[in-house]
Amino acid sequence: METNCAVLSPQEYRLQEEQAGRDIYTGRMRPYKILKSIQKLRPIIDVERARYFTESMKETEGQMLILRWAKAMHHIAQNITVYIDDNQLLVGRSGAQGRYGILYPELDGDFLGLALEEMPKRVGAPFSISEADAKIVVEEIAPYWMGKTYHESLTKALPDETLKLTYEPSNPLLSRYIVNETSSFRSSIQWVHDYEKVLKRGFKGIKAEALEKMAALDPLSPVDNMEKRPFLEAIVIACDAIVLWAQRHAKLAAEMAEKETDPVRKLELQDIAERCAWVPENPARNFRDAMQSQWFTQMFSRMEQKTGTIISNGRMDQYLYPYYKQDKESGALTDEQTLELMECMWVGMAQFIDLYISPTGGAFNEGYAHWEAVTIGGQTREGMDATNDLTYLFLQSKREFPMHYPDLAARIHARAPERYLYEVAETIKEGSGFPKLCNDEEVVPVLLAKGASFEDAYDYAVSGCTECRMPNRETYTSPCAYINFPAAVEMTMYNGRMKKHGDELIGLETGDPTSFKTWDEFWNAYLKQHINFLKHAFIQQHIIINLRPNHFAWPMGSALNDCCMDDMKDIHSPVIKGGIDLGYFEFMGYATVIDSLVAIKKLIYEEKKITMAEMVEAMRCNFEGKEAIRQMVANAPKYGNNDEYSDAIGKLLDRECLKFTKQYSKELGVHLDLRLVPFTSHVPFGKVVGATPNGRKEYTPLSDGSAASQGCDANGPTAVLMSNYLTKNYDFRERAARLLNVKFTPSILAGEAGTRKLVSFIKTWCDLRLWHLQFNVINQTTLLAAKKDPENYRGLIVRIAGYSAYFTDLSPDLQDDLIARTENHTI
Amino acid sequence: MNAPNNQAAKGCVFNIQHYSVHDGPGIRTIVFMKGCPLSCRWCSNPESQKINPEVAYNPNKCIGWAECFRCGSVCPSQAVRQEASGKISLDRASCTDCFACVDACPPKALHLFGAMMSVDEVMKAVERDSAFYSRSEGGLTISGGEPLVQADFTIALLKEAKRRRINTAMETCGAVEWERLQEACRHLNFLLYDIKSVDPQKHKEFTGADNALIMENLRKIRQTFPQLEVLVRTPLIPGFNDTEAEIATIVGFVNELHVGYELLPYHRMGQSKYQFLDREYPMGEVKLAEERAKELTEYAKQRRSTHADH
Repeated sequence: METNCAVLSPQEYRLQEEQAGRDIYTGRMRPYKILKSIQKLRPIIDVERARYFTESMKETEGQMLILRWAKAMHHIAQNITVYIDDNQLLVGRSGAQGRYGILYPELDGDFLGLALEEMPKRVGAPFSISEADAKIVVEEIAPYWMGKTYHESLTKALPDETLKLTYEPSNPLLSRYIVNETSSFRSSIQWVHDYEKVLKRGFKGIKAEALEKMAALDPLSPVDNMEKRPFLEAIVIACDAIVLWAQRHAKLAAEMAEKETDPVRKLELQDIAERCAWVPENPARNFRDAMQSQWFTQMFSRMEQKTGTIISNGRMDQYLYPYYKQDKESGALTDEQTLELMECMWVGMAQFIDLYISPTGGAFNEGYAHWEAVTIGGQTREGMDATNDLTYLFLQSKREFPMHYPDLAARIHARAPERYLYEVAETIKEGSGFPKLCNDEEVVPVLLAKGASFEDAYDYAVSGCTECRMPNRETYTSPCAYINFPAAVEMTMYNGRMKKHGDELIGLETGDPTSFKTWDEFWNAYLKQHINFLKHAFIQQHIIINLRPNHFAWPMGSALNDCCMDDMKDIHSPVIKGGIDLGYFEFMGYATVIDSLVAIKKLIYEEKKITMAEMVEAMRCNFEGKEAIRQMVANAPKYGNNDEYSDAIGKLLDRECLKFTKQYSKELGVHLDLRLVPFTSHVPFGKVVGATPNGRKEYTPLSDGSAASQGCDANGPTAVLMSNYLTKNYDFRERAARLLNVKFTPSILAGEAGTRKLVSFIKTWCDLRLWHLQFNVINQTTLLAAKKDPENYRGLIVRIAGYSAYFTDLSPDLQDDLIARTENHTI
Repeated sequence: MNAPNNQAAKGCVFNIQHYSVHDGPGIRTIVFMKGCPLSCRWCSNPESQKINPEVAYNPNKCIGWAECFRCGSVCPSQAVRQEASGKISLDRASCTDCFACVDACPPKALHLFGAMMSVDEVMKAVERDSAFYSRSEGGLTISGGEPLVQADFTIALLKEAKRRRINTAMETCGAVEWERLQEACRHLNFLLYDIKSVDPQKHKEFTGADNALIMENLRKIRQTFPQLEVLVRTPLIPGFNDTEAEIATIVGFVNELHVGYELLPYHRMGQSKYQFLDREYPMGEVKLAEERAKELTEYAKQRRSTHADH
């Protein structure tokens, strides 16, 4: 028992001190200074990448796409401005200094005109662009891509029935958020490279491999000549391109060192010059080389492709460990220096903003969200515990460095050491919710069931918010559908129509619901709408899979993937030997649908407290003047409370999705697995759905991920976990991530006893084989204060749907949504 | 060997609270039983005091009789009144406890404190959390009210929990027959025991009962069950025991007994429930300053640590 919940989390304490004008930071000052210099900057759009990419593409029309892409990357490497930031130890930027985003006109260039006007005004995540750069976009870049972008090809290819669930048929720039495609605002799903390959072999080694393969081609074979040779040539060019880019940094650093008057910085610049001349071309010699080489690779990758929510970092505590160990043993490196280098990287990441120029993309990723996940812990390729000294340094940095990048992901398994679990728990308690957790006991068996080897499955890396990748085994990059199933509920109630779209028939005419005599009749009607959505999601995906190879190529991404190199094919090719293709589809508003169906089943068909006609009428008028009905449905059983009645319906919904994909994935040649991971998109998806039978008002957010509806988790976090467990269908291999947010007030976790209870909570989550878990440790009063007074809470980090953003970067809508979520504090 | 207990017997339970972390070790589920021999002025669970189910009315949830008067229209004894405020009130004297209004109320403004449940029903709810018990060394905690007012049921519940290998804890005020307490302790892993004051006069004045039995029972428990882990707790109540002198005498008593000890600072979280039951809150506007609670907690700690036994 406790008198109140007024225990400040360390993060809240730091904010309070900052407001009082006291800077209490006592950590490593170099990265902290860089952070302070960029923290309050409004992001700008840098056009150089788009400009040089377009220039080159104009010159190479007619050639094989992967070759054109490699040449474009080489052109960028040669011409883009290179920078060396003050104080930084790592160099390599994909754009201007400060916070910045870059453009990918090949993807969604048809939005550019619209975007330039709308972007600076965007509520969720505004951007600025200079007049001169805007001119370049309008005059040089956009005109070339008109009629050529992927988005345009896609909207033309969608059949009418599918299009009307996807975009406004009269204006395909506007998403309908019903069966929503996401391949137009990113060119790949969330991805991880095999960075270890770069560290061990250097791009020189990868280039040599390509040249060797080229020499061994059959000179008479048409396929070898027309497919494999251009692929290998592209790999060679791409390797040359990143090396050239690094060399330009070496040259600049040497020039700056010449002029530098501060003797300490002069030495640093000389060191940077020497290092950039060596990596990433050659294998890393030490920890500093390894960090710089990795950094060049990920920054160059950002220019090559817009992977979903930015390229992830893989298992950093594993592939960096040999270099760390060697340098620690020789005395060349201290832990403080290791942490300083890490934090130089984090503060570099924070400056690159995942810029979405389509309004849909922006809505999906509010608060400049990006998730370049860094994975720690887990198991080795042999299945032994993988934690090492470096693992603990990543956790230490997360506790000490006041910033929400990178998105730290801790793998948990049944034999994880106590020290690891306790340090993870302590880090979560620091207040920013990191690290998020990923469960080996669920992920590994699912990957095995998809055909992975034990060693590849044990070696998975977290990618983006909840996805897990095997960087050398997976070969599927097409972004997938987000399906608004609450809209299917609405269509069942309105005979195939939605309030927002009036009389337009969008779904199926399943009949007037007042004519349904039994729950079974209603359920069958709902199921028809539900399956119709799935049908169109899979039709979309069929088109997307076949269109993307004509629009995208990924030379460096393919060079770092064993399957692509062995089969000598770009990663976008529909079939790559040895590859496993793991896609997904998204169930939006899971709790919204469950709670709606529960209300109908229980109140209309079982208890007969409401008639169907009354329910339809209440929905039509948004429950206005229908308060008694709204209260009745609001007080019906709710998902997320470990309640048998609602969990049974949840399980059935999950199962219907799994059955469909089990039947139809095979013919697409892809595993399309069921996911409940909405980013922040439950807000825009909610904006198209009228009032729902669970009492949710029209156009308000849907439920988030696999969580209970907002404010409906009345039984605490253990119940939320149990409901997740009880609604999963473990007999299907077609299951994938469920994102699960659990919010705690600091008082519940206070002291050593609180840490112990958090550890046992995590262990139980592991036992239950739930995929993902993240915590939000915050007081509701803090959120309310932050909403009222954003200036004083700029640094407030909160967890939303798989990532952290600054609370004050969010739209008022989303702030309200966060505040509304039930706080789990005991009284 | 372990025959099933009498699972048909029903008890009156007013809440089952999941994810409790402050009442016994680990992550626990608390079953709150109705009925209490004391009537402490500061009681934060006034709904626990009477043994039978009671109707409560939360006017904040009520949507008003103009919008909805389902409660009034189902009441067989005209016990629901329309108030000028737009809300309703209950004429508790003419209420026959049929609870028809509770079932009819859409926003659950009218609700029931207390439901008759079988041992099996309670265990089913408790076992829904069992995944958390094994990892946290948590389990079932029976609280109240005083669980031993419904001693047969509570003991049956404890026996059944042990049979299902669930860790058991109980919170007691101690003002119960020794034989029943003794029987309950046989099935307990952990006991939470309230000592409110060692001054018999004051105790009677504020709780309605003498404390001799309470102190005697605690001594007996220590003798009879030397292995049982016991945590003694003192609610820190302004105007009752919030002085160094009071705490010193309580700690003095506790220090002889080889038990754990903690202070629970007074809070007013129960206040609204008095209103729901149409009862006066006996403590009025009294508050306990956070600073004072800290001081006395610190003071109690010192008195504990100077004692060689702990």
